[in-house]
Amino acid sequence: MPMRIGRAGHDIDGVFTWALEPPAPFAFEPGQFNMLYAHGVGEVPISISGDPNDFSTLHHTIRVVGNVTEALAALEAGDEVGVRGPFGSTWPLSEASGQDVLFVAGGLGLAPLRPAILSVLKRRSEFGQVTIIYGARSPTDILFRAELERWRGRFDVTLEAIVDHSGTDWYGPVGVVTRLVAEAEIDPEYCVAMLCGPEIMMRFTERELEQRGLEPSQIWVSLERSMKCGVGLCGHCQLGGTFVCKDGPVYRYDQVASKLLLRGL
Amino acid sequence: MEDLESILQKHSFLADLKPEHVKLIVGCAKNLRFRPGEFLAREGQKEACMYLIRRGTVAVETHAPNGETICIETLMPGDVLGISWVTPATAHFDCRARETVIAFSLDHDCLDRKMKEDAELGFAITSRLLDNTYQRLSRLRLQQLDVYR
Repeated sequence: MPMRIGRAGHDIDGVFTWALEPPAPFAFEPGQFNMLYAHGVGEVPISISGDPNDFSTLHHTIRVVGNVTEALAALEAGDEVGVRGPFGSTWPLSEASGQDVLFVAGGLGLAPLRPAILSVLKRRSEFGQVTIIYGARSPTDILFRAELERWRGRFDVTLEAIVDHSGTDWYGPVGVVTRLVAEAEIDPEYCVAMLCGPEIMMRFTERELEQRGLEPSQIWVSLERSMKCGVGLCGHCQLGGTFVCKDGPVYRYDQVASKLLLRGL
Repeated sequence: MEDLESILQKHSFLADLKPEHVKLIVGCAKNLRFRPGEFLAREGQKEACMYLIRRGTVAVETHAPNGETICIETLMPGDVLGISWVTPATAHFDCRARETVIAFSLDHDCLDRKMKEDAELGFAITSRLLDNTYQRLSRLRLQQLDVYR
């Protein structure tokens, strides 16, 4: 369906966020994605980064990485874009209810986790301790910085950010995200972890979480693969016996662990 | 008031070290305080001790030709600074206190002597250093992959 771009904002270098205006209320679940179509150029899967309780605005955060996203980046507020969706599986908020929730995001991986974080914060009393760990390349690459600072200011959320390297203008920790996972206060018996970021980062993080006592069945990841149809027909995003567009992108880690260790899958 | 020995034993690097071994190395240890901005080590200088950080964070830094300071990693309470300085060595990086840092220094000549005198202590310290080195190496490998690019 065609949607008008209400607002287009630059986030960090090479990354922008759109607030789209759906012609009718648009419902989605945290973790899902849409296929965005740049007219005459092509279609790409992009996670929904907005609030699932807001049916009138649809947010997408997009990194410019190829022809289609370049064409999308050239569009401005008032222009129209094609939207198909929502597609895919969702973050396990029902399973996490009553338990501690640990979000670990790396780089742009914060965007697909944002709807889940917003949902948990809206229903804050249903969850135990909420911890958000965020890793970025450098201080200037921190996504949604103002919002992270707001969340960090809450008394009912623990948020730590770490950057891979910095100058002297950053007072937070420097190192990789697994460093903060190793230090996080976790009760492994009552914790659900949701990870999103580069796949290598998620594998390292999962290992760290296992060392902290979590079972792979308590850990959820959002995966990316080349997608075309979005409905499990074309096979472009096949991962073993599953299709990331239909059975994913959110998977429980024990369901995909062995596949993630196979090169080329 | 706690004595140096009991505080030393609480540091995660020395956790589960036998009390008699802690007694042995307490003579090599000093409790030090560094002001914000003060350097615990400078690149190119010989270092005579390693540090067990108790409080505050330490930036491991280098600098580019234009004078820009690059922070490679921050070390936190529980970390060891100067893994390679268990034998006399030259620091590869500047190590700067970002806020007030309280740390134990362990004199390497003293520690080296005690580790040679007591092989069990030597093994215990070496195992911990190896584990620490592996963890640091693993983190640096991930950092080197530059996964967010």
